[in-house]
Amino acid sequence: MEVSIGDVVMPGDTVKDITTITKKETIILGPGLRREADTVYAYKAGVLKKTEPAVYYVDSYQKRYVPNRGEHVVGIVTQKGGDIFKVDIGASEQASLSYLAFEGATKKNRPDIQVGDLVFAKLLVASKDMEPELVCVDSHGKEKKLGILSSEGMLFTCSLSLIRKILNHNSPLFNMLARNQAFEVAAGMNGRVWVKARTIQETIAIATAILAAEYAPLSDIKKLCSDIEKTLLLTQSGNMD
Amino acid sequence: MDMSEETPQSEYILRPMNCELNQLSMPDGSAMLMQGNTAVIAGIYGPVEAKLQKMIYDKASVEVSYSPIKGPTKVDDRMTEMYIKETCEAAIIVTFHPATAICINVQELEDSGGMLACTINAACLALINAGIPMKFTIAAINCMIQKDSEDIILDPDNIQLQEAKAEFTFAFDSMDKNVICCYTTGCFTETEFLKTMDRCKQASQYVFDFYRNLVKKYANVI
Repeated sequence: MEVSIGDVVMPGDTVKDITTITKKETIILGPGLRREADTVYAYKAGVLKKTEPAVYYVDSYQKRYVPNRGEHVVGIVTQKGGDIFKVDIGASEQASLSYLAFEGATKKNRPDIQVGDLVFAKLLVASKDMEPELVCVDSHGKEKKLGILSSEGMLFTCSLSLIRKILNHNSPLFNMLARNQAFEVAAGMNGRVWVKARTIQETIAIATAILAAEYAPLSDIKKLCSDIEKTLLLTQSGNMD
Repeated sequence: MDMSEETPQSEYILRPMNCELNQLSMPDGSAMLMQGNTAVIAGIYGPVEAKLQKMIYDKASVEVSYSPIKGPTKVDDRMTEMYIKETCEAAIIVTFHPATAICINVQELEDSGGMLACTINAACLALINAGIPMKFTIAAINCMIQKDSEDIILDPDNIQLQEAKAEFTFAFDSMDKNVICCYTTGCFTETEFLKTMDRCKQASQYVFDFYRNLVKKYANVI
């Protein structure tokens, strides 16, 4: 079946709009699309989307993470030994993280990381034939927001499409929540979210808000946030009595 | 049991299909499918790390486990597993995730005819839900030839199957409607075989439309 932008696509559908374009711009086929000779096929079920100038992709629901270079992920350290840590990022293979890939780390000054710690890291190498490799520094050797996540926070998992939804610049969720609560959040593209707020109640409330955003349309998010704030106020006043 | 399907004008109609996606929280994709009173639940894990013996360095290995409603897995169930494996492997683009494993787990819930077709359809829906790269989707159709009247009945139930001369299960791909899987029992002639295949091919469109409507229903969440 032939489909065009905005349609629901199924694996095996052909995308017709791409083939007729004769612009000079290079066309980029994103996730969910593949080319065979002159035809573009979808290989995932979802919604076909296009971003200007000519990037085409299929937005699909997925829970399993497939590493992509440059993405930020939340990982759990599973093994310590020699020069590298092994980190579980929810992909088919464990990622490696060098102990030198932290800010200010030298051979003598090793970072203090134990098995079970959470790290927020960036994928330096991600290819289907190779083991993924993580770093906790940018190209200037600075940590910025990367590094170990404190054990006082809470970790939970959600679908990959939800992560894309909340990390979208147009998403009002975090701005709404941040108006009345102070919290820290690290959302990895691998579907893991780490949250830390001032109290346990607030942390749980924020986690609930993020998970509830999956099935809420953009217009309902404002109401969702105020509902959660109200409930939070009630529980807090209940604690004081 | 609904016997009204014997009426000639409903010959092309399959038993009603019901499906719920993503019911299970642990697997990466799952589908619970009912075709008439036949029900199965399928869960997919993948792409996950492959065991060393089963690892194929240039493609993903597909592992299927089928559990019957009672008792341990028997030889017949192993055959079902093989049918699911070969059929799904034809659809999955295995080269996209080399050296990994894609595990398909199917649990039988109730058998009232057309079990193999139902398991293949459920596995396909679970693969769609898990976001596994696929060349096309698959629709499996079960049908039979009646003993006395020589009529072809599509998607028969248990009671209808008791009067069967031969039973067929065909799986088709969504692109060219080619046969990818064929399972037959009983005696039949070549013309009968081709006729049933043609009838199933027409009916497969109904299943593909069902898949698309299902995805449309949950696509607004994305």
